[in-house]
Amino acid sequence: MDKVFLKNLKPLLDAIAEQMELYVPKKLGDYYSFSRYKPADSAEPVFNNIRVSSPAKEFLFPMREMAAVYGGKAETPDIKPFAVFGLKNCDLRGIKILDCVFKEEEFLDPSYVARRDNMFIISSDCFDPAETCFCNMVGGQPFAEEGFDLNLSKVKGGFIVEAGSEKGQKFVKDNMRIFTDLPADAESERDQIRKKSRTRLDEINAEYLLDNPINEIVEGCYDSPLFEEEAGVCVECQGCTRVCPTCHCFYLYDTKQKDYFGKMKMWDSCMRCDYAAVAGGENPRKILGDRSRHRLMHKFVYFLERYGIEMCVGCGRCVEGCAGGSEVRQLLKKLNEELKDKKHTKVTK
Amino acid sequence: MNENPYKPIDAEIIDIIDESPTIKTFVIVPQSEFRFATGQFVELTLPGIGEAPFTPSSSPKETERMDISIMKAGQVTGLLHECGKGQKVGIRGPYGNGYPVDSFVGKEVLIVGGGVGLAPIRSLFLTLVDRIKDFKRVVCRFGARTPEDLIYKESLFGEWPKIDGVDMKLTVDNSDDGWSGNVGVVTTIVKSDDVDINNSAVVICGPPIMMKFATMQALEYGFRPDDIYLSMEKNMSCGIGKCGHCMIGKYYVCKDGPVFTYEQIRKYPKIWD
Ligand SMILES: Cc1cc2nc3c(=O)[nH]c(=O)nc-3n(C[C@H](O)[C@H](O)[C@H](O)COP(=O)(O)OP(=O)(O)OC[C@H]3O[C@@H](n4cnc5c(N)ncnc54)[C@H](O)[C@@H]3O)c2cc1C
Ligand code: SF4
Ligand code: FES
Repeated sequence: MDKVFLKNLKPLLDAIAEQMELYVPKKLGDYYSFSRYKPADSAEPVFNNIRVSSPAKEFLFPMREMAAVYGGKAETPDIKPFAVFGLKNCDLRGIKILDCVFKEEEFLDPSYVARRDNMFIISSDCFDPAETCFCNMVGGQPFAEEGFDLNLSKVKGGFIVEAGSEKGQKFVKDNMRIFTDLPADAESERDQIRKKSRTRLDEINAEYLLDNPINEIVEGCYDSPLFEEEAGVCVECQGCTRVCPTCHCFYLYDTKQKDYFGKMKMWDSCMRCDYAAVAGGENPRKILGDRSRHRLMHKFVYFLERYGIEMCVGCGRCVEGCAGGSEVRQLLKKLNEELKDKKHTKVTK
Repeated sequence: MNENPYKPIDAEIIDIIDESPTIKTFVIVPQSEFRFATGQFVELTLPGIGEAPFTPSSSPKETERMDISIMKAGQVTGLLHECGKGQKVGIRGPYGNGYPVDSFVGKEVLIVGGGVGLAPIRSLFLTLVDRIKDFKRVVCRFGARTPEDLIYKESLFGEWPKIDGVDMKLTVDNSDDGWSGNVGVVTTIVKSDDVDINNSAVVICGPPIMMKFATMQALEYGFRPDDIYLSMEKNMSCGIGKCGHCMIGKYYVCKDGPVFTYEQIRKYPKIWD
């Protein structure tokens, strides 16, 4: 009963929206963004072929929120169940990365945990990867493997719906009326489509093929002038860290309200010049190249050492969104060549 | 335990001691018992204004009150300096690892400190002398810019040097007429035969430039990089290993530090900046 068939999206989304707030992709030019699902205005819900442009972290770690109230009492928002439709595997892997940080046993982040526990995730397979996608380079697949409540795979005549959690199984059981049995050849068709998407990704990224694991490349070229050179196009807009589904820097600031004080938590960016500056004026990453190196080291080396996974899911949002036109794959490829040269000189010496 | 790590517990400033023209010690009473290990730090909130990390300078044995010595360095510290007795504040923590005091047992402990770096060192010193028999000797080499910049003057010129097992020397960068002691930066009073280099630990805390030179000197004298303990000061916000501000390489200074051995962090660039 883990897999059932769905002919049209609408009955599924309507059934979910009856139970909780639901966010769905909306087409905006060539891109998708999320908006609140309203059954009455949604005659034909949108199925997004690739990921939505905004990162899923916005649902769990909003740009700004009240992290704590002190010196008085305030209404604390009561987080209710909500659902998001249209997440892709890169989004799910991004959430797993955020979990490592905000659900770390020693210091649980209470509002993240509350939102996470209340989030119902309906993911779907990528149908048509974009030129900016490179999940295949960082151990990902264009279809969900874990971390969803329901996953949809588009096939002829409808969708295979797979439950990936107890919550998902319960939903399917309670709503059997909207599903039918799987057509005989649906699963083999799904496997074909998945293979095709994967092949497409391999084609897209053929020119960036690397000879060594990314962490070894980045760490091995730690001193490379390429970090500074490549950062030359950066206009310091910090867009890359905002659209990134895994970047999670923030800072706390205090506010005074009428009868209480609040500690606010707001997104920050390690690309900001004064990000690491201290009161005495020292700043270990005053230089842009140092900040861009730190960002890459954090993503591919430090996070991996600490949590056992890389902090990049290859969604390509930073490539798509960069105002200066920088491209992480290109930098990785150049570093790759540099490391090869280094190794080569070592051998021939 | 506090359920929400971002929520400070209420506390009150009950006394303020002028230590130097730029440093004051605030005696703070938390609403409930507050325990910390020496070298751990707290985030001190000035309600509605902001917060900053500080290492308590009192002995961890005192659980009802805590001293925090604060140098005026910017917005929050500047406003704290304007506060009077009775000011309500908030405290989060304690955070970080603190000094590995037990690993110093049986050794000589060389403490090199400067400026407001004496704040964490005072807490460590009080912890060490409390069980002074466990250590071969506690050797202190402290400095400040001028005699009036030396903090904890009463203790430095009073009881501390008289404690059995303690060897203390002071220096200032620039002297005035009333000063009969050494003149020169703190490294000028650290000698290679101050302690038995093969059986001792060095603890260094002070302004970045001083920490750099004291570390280089210790290495030159032959100390092993993992016997050199550094209190790293980095930009901090959350204090709990999430916000990313304090990173040195893969380490979160707030969680894995603030005390590191030189061995742990030597491979990372610009650690002194
Ligand atoms: C673990 C630790 C222990 C410390 N112990 C002491 C102590 O015992 N006594 C003492 O006087 N000082 C101590 N400091 C330094 C003290 O935290 C800074 O002087 C203080 O944060 C300055 O804040 P400000 O708002 O007055 O400065 P401003 O210059 O107005 O603000 C500095 C800006 O940098 C940010 N910032 C974040 N972290 C730091 C930082 N570490 N230093 C400076 N700015 C920072 C602030 O949020 C702010 O945005 C310690 C620092 C650390 C990391
Ligand atoms: S670094 Fe770029 S490609 Fe990687 S997860 Fe972040 S936005 Fe996506
Ligand atoms: S201060 Fe936030 S991670 Fe260390």
